[in-house]
Amino acid sequence: MRNLTALLFSGGLAFLLMVIAWQFTLGDAPMLIGAAILDNAVKEVGAANLVTSVVLGYRGIDTLGEIAILFTAATATSMVLGSFAMTDEASETEQREDGSILGSSVRLFFPLLLTLGLYIIVHGHLTPGGGFQGGVILAGAFFLPLLAIPGRSINHGGIALVEGFSGAAFILIGLTALFSGQAFLQPLFEHGVIGHLFSAGSLPLLYIAVGLKVGAELSGLLANLAGISSHAAEAEK
Amino acid sequence: MNSIVLNIALPLLVAFLLPLIHASSRIAARITGPLVLMVMMWSAVIVFKALEYPVSIALGGFLPPVGVSFHLDQLALLMATIIPLLMLLLWPYQYEQNLREQTVLLLLAAASSGLALSGDLFNIYVFYELISVASFGLAAANRQASSFAAAFRYLLISGLGTVLALTGIALIYTQTGTLNLAQLGLLSSRLDNPLGLSAFALILLGIGVKAEIFPLNGWVAEVYSTASTRTSALLAGLVSKLAVLAIVRILVVAYDDSEAGLMLLVFGVLGIIWGEFSAWRAQDLKRMFAYSSIGQLGMILLAFSIPGEAGMFAGIAMMLHHLVVKPALFLLTEKWNHGTDSLRGAARLSPLAAALFVLFALSLIGVPPLPGFWAKMLLMSGLVGMDTSVYYIALAVLMIATVVEAQYLIRIAVTLYSASDRSSELRLASNTGVMSLFAVVLLSALLTLTPLGSKLYHIAAESSNRALYIRTTFNVNPTPVLEHKNATQEASL
Repeated sequence: MRNLTALLFSGGLAFLLMVIAWQFTLGDAPMLIGAAILDNAVKEVGAANLVTSVVLGYRGIDTLGEIAILFTAATATSMVLGSFAMTDEASETEQREDGSILGSSVRLFFPLLLTLGLYIIVHGHLTPGGGFQGGVILAGAFFLPLLAIPGRSINHGGIALVEGFSGAAFILIGLTALFSGQAFLQPLFEHGVIGHLFSAGSLPLLYIAVGLKVGAELSGLLANLAGISSHAAEAEK
Repeated sequence: MNSIVLNIALPLLVAFLLPLIHASSRIAARITGPLVLMVMMWSAVIVFKALEYPVSIALGGFLPPVGVSFHLDQLALLMATIIPLLMLLLWPYQYEQNLREQTVLLLLAAASSGLALSGDLFNIYVFYELISVASFGLAAANRQASSFAAAFRYLLISGLGTVLALTGIALIYTQTGTLNLAQLGLLSSRLDNPLGLSAFALILLGIGVKAEIFPLNGWVAEVYSTASTRTSALLAGLVSKLAVLAIVRILVVAYDDSEAGLMLLVFGVLGIIWGEFSAWRAQDLKRMFAYSSIGQLGMILLAFSIPGEAGMFAGIAMMLHHLVVKPALFLLTEKWNHGTDSLRGAARLSPLAAALFVLFALSLIGVPPLPGFWAKMLLMSGLVGMDTSVYYIALAVLMIATVVEAQYLIRIAVTLYSASDRSSELRLASNTGVMSLFAVVLLSALLTLTPLGSKLYHIAAESSNRALYIRTTFNVNPTPVLEHKNATQEASL
């Protein structure tokens, strides 16, 4: 029965894809919304990076949804990993460096990655990049020491604090607009001069919130997984 | 009207902060979740009461079609009220180690409200994805090997569905250049071709994973029989309905007068056949309910495939009926033994639980005068009203499926009341309080059938009116008048 339905489904899907491949023509896609955004984004939102004006301006609610998805995934993962994730006793027992080269280069890279991540987040409304990309780099910065120095623990309380407040900040900025009589997530403040660091209203604030949220989320998730693997290693001994 | 975004913002805000609240005060963390759900209900009811005609709100202050818009009509607000209500009933009050589960439930509440309200294709996708991820967590929350395996398979199937849905949405975007549902309604002629229909099929299959649609429902029986009862009740009762609703919105607004409705009919009929016959063969009680839920959702899809008000009316009635009865059945049988044979003679020791089971089962089958009969009657008269051979075939399948459904549900009822050969100590231990509440809802629906019916008809007429939807979004003289077929031209950009 299961094989039959699988066959039916695959056949149907293949047919569907064939229809699409047969009918689809490239190169003449209508640009309704795209053209409207290209024409008006700079005037309406004031961000030099047009992608940012879509991500945080026109479709801010989708971005809120995306960070909620990331948060849900992290929460669900820690639900599955469960009790392992929250016990730090074993991690404090031994901290050893896997060689001095690894240790020194981590100490060298950590501030560099931190600076790069923060730069990309803060300039999200000016240059390609932004909260999601910068946040991933931040998470990388905090995860490197865990890789180089096994057994080292990460500050779960601090991560939870950043995670909670940065997510809340995004929503609170949106709610501030709502309670001042505008729409939810409507950009606040003046646009300023296009291309300046302090421009595009509240968009940079939103991107900082996104960046910190993504960074905290991913480093928490990686730390959980690292905790599991070091537990497993100890259990093997 | 703008305050309805609180139904999304507030649960998200609290979900983000819940671990911190928990760290500072456990008692505060325990009461915050239910409190938020109550506020959500209150906010939805207030907007519902103030609503005279559908309203569209622009998020971020950018007017549709460029910005994302929410479409507030009676159907959306009805769902927005039901979501926190059902979650309050199914909230994990009694367990200690459930902080993460509460967090995920709040996220699910936010995403469900968003899905009910959204009027933008990609926004629908985002909230649908959030619902998916939250339900993976809930499916695995039991922390047993079997539920992990079920959750993993669910994740794979659902992931496939997500890819299909996103492909469909991208296809629609390449053909029309827009994602706003109302603008898609204006451009629906561009979608009335093989490519547009393929896009609808992809979205139907993709979002249909949650609606337990025919080929992609392999996860249903496994997840419902391994996950906690509350999760099964939420997924079968609420999430599946929201997925159906999202599909119906797209169908009504963007695929008016096209063959897309027939697609819904075919998948509905296949779902009915597969679900009911699998339920008939099932020996395990929870699996039986899971399969019967597939069949019921097939019927709901079938109802929505009937074009116009009649189909919408029947669909909403079937949907609400299933939304009350299926969670109630899952909760009622929570502690019952899985094997159906072991229930022999249990009614003697637990008469109330057995009586409630019979009540819900009879309503599910559609025995007059229970509300289930009324809903099924609407569906059948809708099918007859179409007067086309395809719909008559669907009607015949529906009749046969109802007989099958009656056979397996009555089989259990008879087992419950049959004389036991051994001195059975079996009690149908369960908390009958909440279930009695569901029964009261069901019976009071029976008593107020006439006003309820006319209210539902009004809701159905409003949400099956494509021109009204389009005019509301572009804010062209929204009036409560229902028939304006030429509004499509008025609202042109």
